[in-house]
Amino acid sequence: MMNSSKLALLASAMALAACTTTAGPISAQSARPAASAPASAAAVARIGDAPNLNGVWQTMNTANWNLEPHSAAANPLERGDRLLGAIGAIPAGLGVVEGGAIPYKPEAMERLNSNRANVIAHDPEAACYLPGIPRATYMDMPFQIIQGDGDDILMAYEYASANRVINMEEVGIPPIDTWMGTSYGQWEGDTLVVTTLAQGPGLVKLPAGEMVEGVTWLDRAGNYLTNHATVTERFTPNGPNHMTYSVTIDDPTIYTRPWTISMPLYRHMEANAQLLEFKCVPFSERLLYGDLIEETGSN
Amino acid sequence: MKISKLSAAAIGAVLAITAVGAAAHHSFATEFDRNKPIRLEGKVVMFEWVNPHSWIHIDVRRNNRTERWRVEGGAPSALLRRGWNRNSLPAGTDIIVDAFQARDGDTRASAAEIRFPNGRELSLGNPTTEAVAAAARRAAGN
Repeated sequence: MMNSSKLALLASAMALAACTTTAGPISAQSARPAASAPASAAAVARIGDAPNLNGVWQTMNTANWNLEPHSAAANPLERGDRLLGAIGAIPAGLGVVEGGAIPYKPEAMERLNSNRANVIAHDPEAACYLPGIPRATYMDMPFQIIQGDGDDILMAYEYASANRVINMEEVGIPPIDTWMGTSYGQWEGDTLVVTTLAQGPGLVKLPAGEMVEGVTWLDRAGNYLTNHATVTERFTPNGPNHMTYSVTIDDPTIYTRPWTISMPLYRHMEANAQLLEFKCVPFSERLLYGDLIEETGSN
Repeated sequence: MKISKLSAAAIGAVLAITAVGAAAHHSFATEFDRNKPIRLEGKVVMFEWVNPHSWIHIDVRRNNRTERWRVEGGAPSALLRRGWNRNSLPAGTDIIVDAFQARDGDTRASAAEIRFPNGRELSLGNPTTEAVAAAARRAAGN
């Protein structure tokens, strides 16, 4: 929900973020003499009482292919393998799940097996649907954090121009399910703790027109959560250009216990670091509607 | 074949609701007929929270059979601003809708508000249809 203060935040913070990607710290009122501050603490800029997380960030791993440990492999589609060769192949990953595997309940397996049997075809990413949280963070495209002093925080993602507002208030009850859920944030020391609830795609269109009750996918391998999940992210600065990103996912309908993933976030350091446009709806048209489009050669 | 769509990145739209299902932003007049009002009474089957318009699916007893009608409401953001949430229109709720029928004869219509049997009214946050309904009331009052 937008109100005028959020609109003001958006307008001013976009301008603010544009000049702070690799610039020095925002000058803040600090009573602490610089000489006595430890080097690492002084190196993390602050904005008001909190670390300044403004900037363009990205993960550097294969989590979006598969959160669990996995070997390199050919493209999962026979057609993909034949047409793309090594370009469409899956790189290896040590996995980002603490403890190795995601603790699914037996009840979760039907949907999981259906996802696994239909990777890419049923993957919301392929359809240019919104990725949800935490997948948006490790989509292998940059995202930008826009943070003011005491305001709500905006995260803007290059993938599909997805975005979410982190409401800096007590966790509430989201009025409806949405693709990206509703996020509530608070600071615990220098860690931004974000709780996201009510992620639900609702009815989703699959290629060839079938409508199914959707779930939020966590990666291209078909791992998923439901709208009963509580996703708790922790963004902890680790020097001026790194963060530790740790996420606990609790969904009693499909997991036997909460489980956690963890990975570093890297700041984009180039002088012209910025989000580019990846509005992918036109790229997914033939996947979703190919059966309706006459391939007559032109257009 | 080009499918034009509503941009979801307009600077107020931080509700991250997908725009994939969106057709080109249509005018009321091309899809619905302001001269074909209809009163639909029936039970809600489901409510779709989608952009650019939400849809109420209701079963209506007409012409000696049960017809499934889809009634267009406002966008989710407009509904949320009017206090709607996931519990506002559960399946099985009896409602009465004064709506304008689709031009193509489908069991589809556009409405500005819904009414409950106890008389309570609820706005659907559908501004163009509200304007059409208001104009119709003014014309009827003259």
